[in-house]
Amino acid sequence: MSIEIRNIAKRFGNFVALDNINLDIPTGELVALLGPSGCGKTTLLRIIAGMETADQGEILFSGAEATHLHARDRNVGFVFQHYALFRHMTVFENVAFGLRVKPRKERPNEAEIKRRVMELLGLVQLDWLADRYPSQLSGGQRQRIALARALAVEPKVLLLDEPFGALDTKVRKELRRWLRRLHDDMHISSVFVTHDQEEALEVADRVVVMNHGKIEQIGSPDEVYSSPASPFVYQFLGNVNVFHSRVQGGYAEVERSADSAGKATAFVRPHDIDIALQALEGGLPATVQHVHPIGPVVRIELLHNSEIVEVELSRERHEALLLAVGQAVWFRPRQVRVFGADQQPVAVPEKQAFLF
Amino acid sequence: MVSKSQRVLPGFGLALGYTLVYLSLLILLPLGGMILRTAELGFGQVMDIALSERSLAAFRVTFGASLLAAMINAFFGLIVAWVLVRYPFPGKRFVDALVDLPFALPTAVAGITLATLYAGNGWLGRYIEPLGFKVAYTPWGIVVALTFITLPFVVRTLQPVIEDIEIEVEEAAASLGASRWLTFRRIIFPAISPALLTGFALAFARAVGEYGSVIFIAGNLPLISEITPLLIISKLEQYDVLGATSLAVVMLALSFVLLLCVNVLQWWTANRHKNTEPLEVAAGRAGGAQ
Repeated sequence: MSIEIRNIAKRFGNFVALDNINLDIPTGELVALLGPSGCGKTTLLRIIAGMETADQGEILFSGAEATHLHARDRNVGFVFQHYALFRHMTVFENVAFGLRVKPRKERPNEAEIKRRVMELLGLVQLDWLADRYPSQLSGGQRQRIALARALAVEPKVLLLDEPFGALDTKVRKELRRWLRRLHDDMHISSVFVTHDQEEALEVADRVVVMNHGKIEQIGSPDEVYSSPASPFVYQFLGNVNVFHSRVQGGYAEVERSADSAGKATAFVRPHDIDIALQALEGGLPATVQHVHPIGPVVRIELLHNSEIVEVELSRERHEALLLAVGQAVWFRPRQVRVFGADQQPVAVPEKQAFLF
Repeated sequence: MVSKSQRVLPGFGLALGYTLVYLSLLILLPLGGMILRTAELGFGQVMDIALSERSLAAFRVTFGASLLAAMINAFFGLIVAWVLVRYPFPGKRFVDALVDLPFALPTAVAGITLATLYAGNGWLGRYIEPLGFKVAYTPWGIVVALTFITLPFVVRTLQPVIEDIEIEVEEAAASLGASRWLTFRRIIFPAISPALLTGFALAFARAVGEYGSVIFIAGNLPLISEITPLLIISKLEQYDVLGATSLAVVMLALSFVLLLCVNVLQWWTANRHKNTEPLEVAAGRAGGAQ
């Protein structure tokens, strides 16, 4: 089922939670709503689910008006960050709930309910916990049960609100991959909310980056990472070095006094910087301040004109250079993206974007 | 060597000793004295006093009216608690404070006020009596007084429990297609029922022992609207101390049995959802899956 979101706005008192949101979610896609806390992503998800009403705008499910449909009539599965399992029911009864509350005519018989629930529990690999109570399960198990419960009513849309936010890193990674597989097997549309950029980039088909109640960018994980549409997206998705500059003659002139109309900001990812021991053409001098080996990469902090520049080198490259703290080096950005004073991207030549 | 298991909290022995001494002084000693005094009479004599027509009628009125009052409060108190927790409205704090008034008011004042209200010429009585409902000076008056006195018990025990129910759980039920009524019956009610039973038991226990408010509105007709506490007082006024203690002991036993039943029921509702087998055992039984 496709979801169309048209001009949705929502305020809580003076706080603008959503400001004229437009978004299309085609059938079968897994979409991540990504943004910092308070950016409106959860509010948008709850409006899609019918748990919150928008001040204006409309929601269409498969082209049909659904703005005023009650949550129970929307046929969406909802998974909460803190599971929201029914504490006084066994795992089996939790999953069976959606089937048991169906109107008598549509309600499957007891044998059918048992078959469906055990099938779902098998799908989440927890059929051996059917007679347990939620309080006896680990966080990861609870979230899988919550998913099984949401899937029991065969929803057309699955909505997940920070589903892995309360879990530890290892379980989170495992469940991420498992959610992706589940989504592909079930042929449904899924929307999940997250503030974890790694999670969004790894799992989603499309990432919707939000900030202050607005959509900053919509694109594939690769698009939003490698060509961010705004300085916010650039800074939110991964580490970045910021250089103040001005644009003149098609070049970003880094560190020139930004007095004229060409005031701009240049963004460079730490892994897009080269370091050399001897002078580089178009490079800048710096001293090494810290060297942190972090797993497969080595993070290096350079001091240049009393500003810190973060650089990430592969282990191999670092072994070739063997940088020591206090050493004088040269660095040069390989790739740079420049945003003008109006926050719009400025086109600069691919090669040698910088003029120093 | 016997290893003594370490406790995180210190002073278990001291705390338990203190608790036992305190409870003995406060509860067991007076009650024990009463039972000892009664033991001067034989079992047969006690039963004769307790099973006399007037005593039986008093027991029936006392326990019947108390049960009815507790049930009325279980229902309406639940609504009051629900409204006070769930809906914001102007003057909510004021209404919340009103709930405690029956605790603070001298019970006699409450009894006299209610009797004046419901009397044939009172503000409420003059409209109700022509309709055929006589409240003041009948057993119904007792029910009204007891309902008034015991309202805070149900409301105050339910409030924190209702506050504890996560809204998300209700939203989850709604997204699974449950109607409001089904969500209440299947999700909310099971969560609050142990507290509701506690409130009911407290209200009932308080009502059984209530004296001050009832005697002013009940009319106190023997066999019709005479409660056991009043019968005990009137026996004392006739210097029939043994008769009074006999009635008290029987009343105590009845109350104890009833409260025990409620407690067992409450324990059962609270624990029926807890499977105490450790997870590892279940995992082992399942053949080590996962």
